[in-house]
This record gives sequence, structure tokens and C-alpha cells, in this order.
Amino acid sequence: MRSIDIHAHLTPQCFIRAMREGREWHGVKPGEMGIGPRNSWTPEQRIDDMNSLGVDVHVVSTFSFYYYYDRDPGVILPMHRECNDEVHQMTVDYPDRFKGMAIIPMQDVKLAIEELDRCVNGMGFVGAMIDDHVNGKTYDDPEFLPLWKAAEEMGAVMLVHQQGGQTLVRDRNPNYHLHNTIGNLVDRAVTFASFVFGGVMDACPDLRVCLCHGGGYTCFGAGRMDRGWQVRPEARVNISQPPSSYLNKFYYDCLTHSEPALRMLIDTVGIDKVIFGTDWPADMAIDWPVSWILGLESLTMEEKEAILYKNLENLLGI
Amino acid sequence: MRSIDIHAHVTPQSYIKAMKENRQWHGVEPEPLDIEPQLEWTPEQRIRDMDSLGVDVQVASTGAQFYNYGGDAQVIAAMHRECNDEVHQMTVDHPERFKGLAQIPMQDVDLAIAELDRCVNGLGMVGAMIDDKVNGKTFDEPEFMPLWKAAEQMGAVFLIHQGGSTLVRPRTRKYHLPNTVGNLVDRAVTFASFVMGGVMDACPDLKICLAHGGGYACYGVGRMDRSWDVGRLPQIPQPPSAYLSRFYYDCLTHSETALRMLIDMAGIDKVVFGTDWPFDMQIDWPVSWVLGLESLTREEKEAILWKNMEKLLGISSE
Repeated sequence: MRSIDIHAHLTPQCFIRAMREGREWHGVKPGEMGIGPRNSWTPEQRIDDMNSLGVDVHVVSTFSFYYYYDRDPGVILPMHRECNDEVHQMTVDYPDRFKGMAIIPMQDVKLAIEELDRCVNGMGFVGAMIDDHVNGKTYDDPEFLPLWKAAEEMGAVMLVHQQGGQTLVRDRNPNYHLHNTIGNLVDRAVTFASFVFGGVMDACPDLRVCLCHGGGYTCFGAGRMDRGWQVRPEARVNISQPPSSYLNKFYYDCLTHSEPALRMLIDTVGIDKVIFGTDWPADMAIDWPVSWILGLESLTMEEKEAILYKNLENLLGI
Repeated sequence: MRSIDIHAHVTPQSYIKAMKENRQWHGVEPEPLDIEPQLEWTPEQRIRDMDSLGVDVQVASTGAQFYNYGGDAQVIAAMHRECNDEVHQMTVDHPERFKGLAQIPMQDVDLAIAELDRCVNGLGMVGAMIDDKVNGKTFDEPEFMPLWKAAEQMGAVFLIHQGGSTLVRPRTRKYHLPNTVGNLVDRAVTFASFVMGGVMDACPDLKICLAHGGGYACYGVGRMDRSWDVGRLPQIPQPPSAYLSRFYYDCLTHSETALRMLIDMAGIDKVVFGTDWPFDMQIDWPVSWVLGLESLTREEKEAILWKNMEKLLGISSE
């Protein structure tokens, strides 16, 4: 049984080196960001861990701390280039174990498209990981449409993943890790809604968007979005079908931390839209993720195969 | 088959009259009346609509726009007394058709307890409807503990229902998302605040009903459990999912699969009938909707429509 993990992060070695040497790195000052032990592993150490977990391939994404959409794009583009080059080198050194997911400077859509093009068409990346918003703007904002069009053209996957900590929940209750355990999930539902209600999925029928953390609350909450669409004119300005009819236009990783939730996701969006994603190496990752999937009693063997590798192979054309 | 609706709103006639006569009302300046036509109905007109819907009893709650937790506590306490007296009068005039949920001035816990006591012990009301937050504070704040203890003593039910801005509004105001996503995430944060703040452990008999099916609480609890697994919630002895069955939930999910999941996770004895009468986001023909659900047994439908509420309120139709 193969397995390809679309949700696996990287803390770049170039950043780690700079911090250890006390050097500033693309405007990031030494000590500005902590590094967990597993985050500093080399590609070889990472492969050892993947072997122990039974994971064949990581689609490696530079961690969301490095989005820096609020900083000067002239500074952040070189940072992202350096991150992406490092990921690219991993895919060159270990083509059977790593695929690349780019980080792109979303604060400047033109630069973001260029870097996406360089990574996807120039270096064989799968796509890019992006936040749920860009300095408060959601993805229904018309300024992003050229990016979606370009990504559609390239066949690039946009993996949507919050920036750690800065979710909608923090303002209400900063305790109990809720900014993550509830915040990640509501941010993803708002992103689904922004793409759908904003008309992006109609304008870009072949756009590939993968929503991390199982798409958050999207599939469970789509019924109330449908009701809003039925009774509120402002919910119908861009779309003529209810939002639930767009559920199967997206991809979702399997990171639900709940078998009934994963079962509902599969039943709601279709088994061909759910792919393996673990959040390696965070503490909120799935422990022994391949074993977890294989052990789920409510899934058939065919469904497990689809999630672990077949859907992602189809999506990536490998 | 009986039906008792825990989620049905009232606009005080005294407020409507004051606005029509261009008079100030408990600090509310005269404003153009902007409410659903049904909210101007007399109790008798309301009963005719309930008859057409097949609803036997409404547990009437003064609408969330009257929370006014940001106002002067004494002024708002007087407003709430007038609201509650009106609801009480409905229950006196039509004891078979109406039960009452109070408004209480949460900005002053002593006054809130006094008004809850007046309404529950003095006027025979069921409990109170309250917001998800009080001027930015969540219900894990120790200042609210005396209220929970008093409510537990009285056997009062709290119906949790958002008022004003939800967590989604800072990100987007479009497409009705502050309601369709916002109500549901606010309820999940309230569930988490009660549980992780230790309130449910401190008050084992506290009765809380989370409106809108508890929002994302049941679907998203797996991720909360993960944060307990990794040691981020040392203050509670059991994982958050163990507390799901400690709450009540109305059936207002706008989704059969979501309702089915709620029943399976919280227990059929915890789901009660609630419609959000008379708002556009209510369930249309709610009794027919529940009766027509194919994935529920006859016993489950009876439990939701009236049996669970009768038990909760200690009333009997026999």
C-alpha cells in the first residue's frame, strides 16, 4: 500500500542555518521564531521518520510561518524563492520521496503568479500552499482572479492552510488552543465560502483547491449555507446553484481527527476528493497516520486506497 | 404526536408600541421598526400560525437584539423585566401553548441571578436565553460561576443564542456568512469555553441548550480531543468529546446528515426541537421536516419533537 502525504511541512535549512549563526534572514531577526526539534531534521532524518510511519511521499510545503504577506514583497519574494529552491533540491535529491508545494508572495498577485510559474513549470512543483486570507482580503476579491486563472492553466494545486495562530477564534477566546482546534476549521469554511459564493469556482471550473484539515467545518455546515443561499439575495449575487453543489469541486485532506467526521466528509464530497494529509511534524498531526487510515472500520479497502495514494496520483498525474 | 419548540422568538409589544409612538424605551431611542411582520402579531395570531405548522408549544424567548449587555445594567434590567413580564403574560393567557425563556442582564451577574430567580421561581419560566459572550468575555470567566451555580440550583435551562457580531464578521460581511458560518462557530467556542473552563465539572447538573444544533461542536470535537491528547488541556479530566452528552442541542441543522451525526454523537436524549420562528433562517414546516427524515426512527422523532423537552422541563402531557 502506497501513501502520499499532501500536508507535510518544512522549516527550511537555510533559515535554521541563519538563526544558528545569528544572522538576519530576509528581514527575520535571530530569535524571532522558535524551532521545534523535529522541524530541524535534515531530509535524510525526515525520510527515516517517513519510513517508520509508512509514508512513501511527502508533498513538502514550507511552513505557514513564512507566508509574511504583510511584509514588503520585494523582501519576501527572495525569501520564498530560497525556500522553494530548497524544497526543489529535496525533490531532485529524492525524487521518489518528495514532491514540492511552493510558497508564494500573495501580497503581490503578479509576483505570486511568476513564482508559481517558476516552481510549477520550471521545477515540477505540484502547486502552492496559501493562507485563508491575504492581509484580511478573502479569495472572492477580484484582485486574485488572475492567480486562479494562471493556476488553472498550469494545473497547479492550491493547498489552503491558515497561518499558525492567526485565525478568527483568537479574538473571542485566546485560551485552550482554540485558535487552532476551532480556528483552523472555521477559517477553512470561510475560505470554501469565499471561493464558492464569490463565483471563483464558476469562473475557473478546472481550478484545483485542496482544503487542509478536512476542509474544516465546510461539509458539516453546508446545509446552513444552503439555507442562507435560498433566503438571502446577497448570497446569490454570483452563484445560481446552492453552495453544497460545489462541495465536490474541492479536494480535502483526511485530517479530521474523527472517524465519523471523515466518514461524513467522504459521503458528502465523494471518495475521489479526499486525500491523505497528516500535518507532519506538528503536535496536532495524526499519530501513525497510515495505520490510522488502515484501521478505520467504517471505510472499505478501496476507500482507504483512494485516500492514501490513488486520488493524489490522479490529481498529480503520476 | 406533540411538538415543543425551544427556539422561538418574541419582540416585546411594549417596544413596538414605543417605537410606533416615537417614544424612547429603556434607553432605546425611537427608531424605524424593522422586524419580521410575524413579530408584530398578537399571541392569538401566533397561535394560529403554530396550529398551521403543527407546533403545540413555543418556549418563547425575547429576541437577541434585546440582550443589550453593553448598556447600563440598571436600565437594561428594567428593560428585561418588562420583556419577561410580557412573555409571562403569554404563558398565563395561554398556558397550554407558551412557556417562557427570560432575558437577563449578563453585564451584572448579581442582577442576572436576581432576574433569573424572579422569572424561574416567581413566574414559572423555563430558564433564560443568553449570548455566546458578554462584552468580549466567554463563559469560562470565573465571574459567571455564581450564575451557573444559581441556575443549577433552580433547574433553569440556558439557551445559548448569538446576538450582534459573530466571529466571522471581521473576515467577511458578505453572502450572509456572519450568520451561516458565524452562528455555528460561536456555538462551538461556547461549548469549548464551558467544557475547558471547567464549568461542566463544577456544575454537574447545569442545563445548557446550544441553539443551531450546537453549531460545529459535535463535528469538530475530534480536533479538540487531539489537543487534550497532546496535553494542551490539563485542567479537564476527560477529553472534550466526553462532555458532548452533557449539553442539549436544538435540531436546527438544515441538514439531515448533520442532524444524524449530532444524534449519534450527543445521544438521542439530548436533541430537542427548535425552529428559530419566525426568521428567514428558520426551518420551513419544521414538524413535517423532522417527521419526514428517513434516517431517523419514529422513536427518535418523538424524542426530538417533544419527549426530551418534557423531561427537561419536568412537564408531562399524560
